[in-house]
Amino acid sequence: MIDPITTEIIRCALLQAAEDMNTTLIRSSYTPVIYEAKDCAVALLDADHNVLGQSSGLPIFLGNLEVCTRETERLHGRDVWREGDVWLLNDSYIGGTHLNDVTVYGPIFAGGELAGFAASRAHWLDVGSKDPGGSMDSTSIFQEGLRLGPVKVYAGGEPCLDLHEVIARNVRFPHATLGDLRAQISCARTGQRRLTEIVSRWGVPTVLAARDQIFAQTEALERAAVAAIPDGVYRAAGFLDNDGIDLGTPLRVGVTVTVSGSSMEVDLTDCADQATGPVNCGAAQAVAAVRVGYKLLVSGDVPLNGGSFRPLSVATRPGSMLAAESPAACQYYYSHLGLLIDLVVAALAPVLPDKAAAASYGDSMIVQFTGTDPRTGKLYVSQEATVGGWGAWEGGDGETCLINNVNGALRDMPIEVLETLFPVRVTRYEIRPSTGGAGRWRGGNGVVREYEFQGDTSLSLWFERSVTPAWGLAGGSAGAPPRVTLDPGGPDERELLKVNALPVPAGTVLRCESGGGGGYGPPADRSPEAVADDLAQGMTGA
Amino acid sequence: MDIGGTFTDVVCHDDRSGAVLAAKAPTTPADLADGVFAALGQVVTDPSGIAFFVHGTTQGLNALLERKGARVLLLTSAGGRDVYQIARGNRDRMFDLRYRKPAPLVPRQDVMEAGGRLDWRGEELIPLDEEDVRRAARRVREEGFDAVAVCLLFSYADPVHELRAGRILREELGDGVLVVLSHEVAREWREYERTSSAVLEAYTGPVVRDFLARIEHRFAERGLAVPVHVMQSSGGLVDASYAMRHPLQTLLSGPVGGTMGGVAAARLLGRDNLICVDMGGTSFDVSLVVNGRPDVSSEAHVEGHPVLMPIVNLHTIGAGGGSIAYSEAGALRVGPRSAGAVPGPACYGRGGTQPTVTDANLVLGRVDPAWFAGGQLTLDGDAAGAAVATLAERLAMDPLQLAEGICDVANAKMAQAIRTLTVEHGVEPRDFALVAFGGAGAMHAVFIARELGIAEVVVPRYPGAFSAWGMLEAEVRRDLTYPYFRPQDALDGPDMAACLAGLERQALDALTGQRVPPERRRVEHAVDMRYEGQDYTLTIPLRDADEPAEPEFLAEIAARYAEAHTSRYGHATPEAAVEFVMLRSTGFGTFERTAAGRVRDEAAEPYVRDVIFDGQVHSTPVLRRDGLPGEFAGPAIVVEQTATTVVPPGCMVGVDGNGFLIIKVDNTARA
Repeated sequence: MIDPITTEIIRCALLQAAEDMNTTLIRSSYTPVIYEAKDCAVALLDADHNVLGQSSGLPIFLGNLEVCTRETERLHGRDVWREGDVWLLNDSYIGGTHLNDVTVYGPIFAGGELAGFAASRAHWLDVGSKDPGGSMDSTSIFQEGLRLGPVKVYAGGEPCLDLHEVIARNVRFPHATLGDLRAQISCARTGQRRLTEIVSRWGVPTVLAARDQIFAQTEALERAAVAAIPDGVYRAAGFLDNDGIDLGTPLRVGVTVTVSGSSMEVDLTDCADQATGPVNCGAAQAVAAVRVGYKLLVSGDVPLNGGSFRPLSVATRPGSMLAAESPAACQYYYSHLGLLIDLVVAALAPVLPDKAAAASYGDSMIVQFTGTDPRTGKLYVSQEATVGGWGAWEGGDGETCLINNVNGALRDMPIEVLETLFPVRVTRYEIRPSTGGAGRWRGGNGVVREYEFQGDTSLSLWFERSVTPAWGLAGGSAGAPPRVTLDPGGPDERELLKVNALPVPAGTVLRCESGGGGGYGPPADRSPEAVADDLAQGMTGA
Repeated sequence: MDIGGTFTDVVCHDDRSGAVLAAKAPTTPADLADGVFAALGQVVTDPSGIAFFVHGTTQGLNALLERKGARVLLLTSAGGRDVYQIARGNRDRMFDLRYRKPAPLVPRQDVMEAGGRLDWRGEELIPLDEEDVRRAARRVREEGFDAVAVCLLFSYADPVHELRAGRILREELGDGVLVVLSHEVAREWREYERTSSAVLEAYTGPVVRDFLARIEHRFAERGLAVPVHVMQSSGGLVDASYAMRHPLQTLLSGPVGGTMGGVAAARLLGRDNLICVDMGGTSFDVSLVVNGRPDVSSEAHVEGHPVLMPIVNLHTIGAGGGSIAYSEAGALRVGPRSAGAVPGPACYGRGGTQPTVTDANLVLGRVDPAWFAGGQLTLDGDAAGAAVATLAERLAMDPLQLAEGICDVANAKMAQAIRTLTVEHGVEPRDFALVAFGGAGAMHAVFIARELGIAEVVVPRYPGAFSAWGMLEAEVRRDLTYPYFRPQDALDGPDMAACLAGLERQALDALTGQRVPPERRRVEHAVDMRYEGQDYTLTIPLRDADEPAEPEFLAEIAARYAEAHTSRYGHATPEAAVEFVMLRSTGFGTFERTAAGRVRDEAAEPYVRDVIFDGQVHSTPVLRRDGLPGEFAGPAIVVEQTATTVVPPGCMVGVDGNGFLIIKVDNTARA
């Protein structure tokens, strides 16, 4: 029988081990997408692939790194693990995300016995897709770049040069990419070292006993939270605008949540078949998105570990957009996941009014432009996500101009940095008033960001959620959908939301307006003071 | 003097006798000056005899925390009105549907735009619309704003529009309204961060200015003949007249005193690398001294608001004497919830019933109940015992075992906070000594050191007033920056050297203004660099202002950059091109130093009490800090006015010539 003190100290040590892995990865990565946007995650696993500690930069990487070690073992048997080996995979149908997300993992041995695994996932800048950085119009995984199954990148402590060669010759920025790979390998080594230290300090039986206690405690806390939700079947559905190829066909995502005692089942089978365009993901990622919704509503502050999510099961339908199979394109794997997270919240909102919020503006809303910089003659690629409005809740207005739910620490690009790096001018960066849904509590407003291109450029856009804009709750109104205008007020004015590699001449203005969040409660119930303040601050009107 | 949230600590060094005195008085939030003079009165009878006075203040920070700062109007470039409200759009909590950004200090209706625009090189595209600026001035007058913050796009590249707007505003508004120009606060790119810095200066500035004027006035009344000095967030000192013009620099002036004490301790001990840990009632602050210098960064967040200014890097976690232990699903947790000062730990007898770290220490016998905080507070051992016993019953544990466990968990968490900072910096804690201060730091330091494999713990004199002592040992410091964007193939070495020479002159003038004599002034130079295409920069020191003019400069600085990159990020790209972003010159002025003074000897009779270490009862001498033997072995408890030091069995303690305790940690207890 292990005492609570040792258990707690071991729990803290495991969490710290994951934090150290994360710090190592961020500290030594080469590209801002990892060290600045934190498009990465790490996990320390036990020998049975349970999470001992994890740290996630991106919410939707929550608790699904273990699918990579599990799948490797399923394919090659448990004897495949050897000391000094490090593995790598980026297959969308295993990891669930796009090929840019590469998981690097290695077994950890203590006294000759398999003690666990250290894993990290990080977004690589480019993996050799048909367009730099990833395409908005790919129709098969084979257009999206280098796809690697479980392969060894280190064997017996020695680098596998053949794999390094394959990578170096299939990506556009080999130097930075191999640098990021090295950062992930150091991260795995940090995890290996920390877990070995923990096991040698307390011994395997004590660590295993502590692990069982920690998992049981987490499960007990989560089961109590689920049991507090009234039993029942709860549903919500929404639509993705389209798949980026067939712009006229919205794609349905339906969610059915069944709560029974201390268990919750989420059924995702009622969703569109896998699409032609790149809006598909592997089942692992759909599970992760459901877990984000579950964490937001049910397990808020409960520590994350192998005991997490035990009350939760998720059903997907192979061949659907949320459990895609080869050769479905997966580059924009997250567009429907943002929607899915909001739908899980919407389904449970009637029974969890003190936890839920109305929907948010919903997607990353990507603006990408590329060309030759007339100031330097060099090629450049600029890619930005756009902030928008979040949903209101009982007791508070939704936040205005905030990054979407699948992103975490991503910050907008300062105007002064953007104009220095790229031939563009930002002429407006403002709150878009009256776009949050009305309600007793108002939805957050979207943003207006206006660009004037200073050189000929090739423009790609991915704006979403015009078919199902952010819905309100409890009588609140929906937020406004996004709107993107090229050459506003000019002779060639046109509205568009998605486009791939559109040539745009220098001097053209692009106005991007993101959507608002949903309102909460009947608009007539809003206090006169709040209505007056909205007007005074210019959040409504205009 | 360190004006903290609860207490105002003072340390006084007598130049003639070499004696050092410390005292404290309750902080008086209504007028901090009252607490200052109450504390001062305990160590100095006649202020006219003071040769040097320095203090750190939380005045500006309090105004921010309590949202009682000035009413500010913000003037921005046309089209950029909402840069401040959008605040870069990021979240720092990922799993929160109800996330709100830190509330802006200026509401949206108090933000106005001025026409005019510069491009990325600072060249004018549209002239400044002066009528817009005058309109803003009219509103300030009519609505009674206290301050105006101006942040125009690309003012770091050329401040021409900001300077013009500033002249108009000052002309229209006179001296009664503080006008803050963003490029004067922080001449760095990134408009949101620069706006936030300017707004913070405008918001806290009038409050800090009033406070400093009050202090100076009351000192003058009492005959103080020397300028009042103030600690800056950078760890350097300035006089009050400068701080009144640049009040933002004092925002975090209190806590950094401890780090500067660490720098002084490093010098006295002849050790370059120290980990400084400050543990009080509610928080645990870690900072580093590397190669004898404080670890200073050029950007920080204060209550969620970014500030671009030199600032000592402090990593803070919620762990202190007041951290509450509780059970959750059968598990033991300690902190970050704190009992605070009210009700405080159960043993304070103010109604607290949940066991805290202090209660656990008391149950273990590691605190002398009659001599806590220098005898100012008598602790209730029964209340502590009852609180621990209640939790022990819930967890089905022996109360003594639980008490030690509460300390062990708190120690493990504090050790992890240290590890977070050292892993970030790519350094190994084993290569450092640990300096422990704050009321509770020395109670836990040896246990924390064991967790990290650290061999030596240093407990300075007056650990509870160490921040105040550190201020006394700090230098005058002025930081100057100059944006200097040049890719390596556009580098003009003599031009860079000429710019640095100009900065050096400014820095020396500033030191003259601070009345630092010429032989005690020096200027250090550095340049911010990055690889082409990188976002983030590293600050690379230069030998002197002339170095860039040397023929081999580019090769040498690139190599130095690669070395710094490897040490910070674990790798470098020697073949990649570098670019230069910013020149930094820092003027330092030192004051005459005397070795840390000897302390009055007040030998008291030691006695012996039972203390629990590793589940065993040890007969442990309780020693007064005044009058310790030169060397002794653990177990021992050392008590003094401001703190308690716990020395477990197996450790050897030496008292050095400065009166510091040097504890050799027995690390065999743990592999």
